[in-house]
Amino acid sequence: MSAHSQIVLEARNVTRSYGAETILDDVSLQVRAGQVTTIVGPSGSGKTTLLALLALLLEPTSGEIRIDGVDAGTLSDGERSRLRNIFYGFIFQSAQLVGSLSVLDNVLLPAFLAGRTRERREFAHDLLDRLGLSARASFLPHQLSLGQKRRVALARALVLRPSVILADEPTNDLDARRASQVADFLLSLPGEGFALVLVTHDRALAERAGNRWEIREGKLTPPVRAPVLHLDLPERHVSETANNETI
Amino acid sequence: MLRLIANSLLRRRWQSLATILGVALGAGLLLAVFLLYRGFDQGLERGRQRLGADLLVVPSTATVDPDKALFAGSPLSVYMDKRFADEARKVPGVRRVEAQFFTQSLHLECCSVGIETRLIGIEGQVIQRLASMSPEGRDLLEKDEVIVGSELLGGIGKSGALIELLGEIFRLAFRLEATGTSLDYSILMPMDSARDLAAKSEALKPVWQDAGDPHQLISALLVEVTDPGRIKEVGRALEDLGPLKVIRAADTFQRFKRLMDAFVFVLAAAGLLTALGGVAYLLGHFSSVAWDRKGEWALYRALGATKPRMVQLVVGESTALSLGGALLGLPLGYGLYRLAFARLASQNAFPFIPPGNALLLAAAVGALLLYGCIGFLSAAGPALRVAQLEPALTMAQGDID
Repeated sequence: MSAHSQIVLEARNVTRSYGAETILDDVSLQVRAGQVTTIVGPSGSGKTTLLALLALLLEPTSGEIRIDGVDAGTLSDGERSRLRNIFYGFIFQSAQLVGSLSVLDNVLLPAFLAGRTRERREFAHDLLDRLGLSARASFLPHQLSLGQKRRVALARALVLRPSVILADEPTNDLDARRASQVADFLLSLPGEGFALVLVTHDRALAERAGNRWEIREGKLTPPVRAPVLHLDLPERHVSETANNETI
Repeated sequence: MLRLIANSLLRRRWQSLATILGVALGAGLLLAVFLLYRGFDQGLERGRQRLGADLLVVPSTATVDPDKALFAGSPLSVYMDKRFADEARKVPGVRRVEAQFFTQSLHLECCSVGIETRLIGIEGQVIQRLASMSPEGRDLLEKDEVIVGSELLGGIGKSGALIELLGEIFRLAFRLEATGTSLDYSILMPMDSARDLAAKSEALKPVWQDAGDPHQLISALLVEVTDPGRIKEVGRALEDLGPLKVIRAADTFQRFKRLMDAFVFVLAAAGLLTALGGVAYLLGHFSSVAWDRKGEWALYRALGATKPRMVQLVVGESTALSLGGALLGLPLGYGLYRLAFARLASQNAFPFIPPGNALLLAAAVGALLLYGCIGFLSAAGPALRVAQLEPALTMAQGDID
């Protein structure tokens, strides 16, 4: 994974305040295609607010959110909505499935909203197949376990093949085995070209994901750069890479 | 989007059904009220047009409701000497006199609508006036010919058809257009033919024993005056001819019109209140839905639904429910109207012109459009509020039921 792959999403000096309270203070972050960006921090540190800002669900008090180099602040509500639809895939803390829709229709929900249902139906079936939910395509959400719901949410996030997947505590409330399955799936996504922004307080997941940014009291700290030994070169030398690279 | 709307409505089937039923009752009531209103309105207008007489003269012993006699065409089972017709024609200020002879009522097994069919004898002048009320009308009737009201012998009652009345064969001359009165359920024939039938009737024999030979009798006189300003004077002169009662059409018409106006006002107010009730009901319903389901709407916003798309979703649901309810309400309303119409017709209480197919269709389409608009408008406010929902709301909420 190259540190020089294309920047698809960027926060530049973003501040978000509610009245006198500053939740995020001068935060800058770059998200690259085919890369994981992990954000960790204690409760109330501003993780979810940062995710909402990156997702264009909130607007920054100051600073810019740039999407493929374009300042989102210059976009109309309709353009921002369209970007949320096709540029992002969301995995919320709770699965947030619509109770009135079947599993398949929940997966297709972004396609319904984009008017691309027919085109994405086969892909939705493929996703359910990959996630082991084919047999439950016609089930309603209340007939699913928590882990199954989370996987449906995963499929929904991917159905329009977005550029960026935003996952907010995706393994929350799952047992170790289910959490591991979800993590395996999520962490395979950058290999398929997706940019993954992962907000978690699950240490194990954060360790596996790497490229770990830490947020504390509204301040974002970039990953610690560690020396990396390249063994495949004729001469041993040290280069810097993100801490998720294998030594 | 249609799929989302359909799924949402089907998933909340009991809630949707309750809304549809509420709308159906409102739409049905509105349709029934509208059809009755139109029927009365047209009936009153037709009644006014067909008056043709300024005075109605009956025997003084007749206990007759002048409203019904003049405008609803109620039969008068009373008799007086036919010489009064000739004497009335000689009264100064009288332009025209028409005599009528009412004989017994029949029940037509083949085509009766549960209403008695009346046999009425009429004079040549009346035949000429009735001829103008039918495209097939003609000025003369043979002795064995009859004219039938619009509600009789439907389908088989073509000109030239033969019908049997009290054992005698008659030929149908023409059928009248609807008048909204008991004339629609009457069979009219030449005066002498009616008297012949009446004379042979076993049921009426006791009547003739008291009143005399039916060939010498009439039931009522319709009188037109030369100068409307002299109506009172002519009326008094007619009463002086003998034991007669004179009913002035203008007075009766005004009184009847005031009554009908009040009735029509009540109907119109009921219709308006029904429509307003529908608006209030749907507004309350969709305001509540918008609030209850804000989590779902916020999710749609977060997943990329634009504000116009949100409005379409919310308004689409409400319009679908309103149109569904209105569709169900149409047969309900029509049934209610038919029930009310049958009751009114059997009581012969008001002149009533049943709305034609074109008006029925227009009323049905109008009810659908009205309730479509009501659904649209009542959801517009909640839909705009939904469209303003902060999509970030979805980050903080739990699962959506």
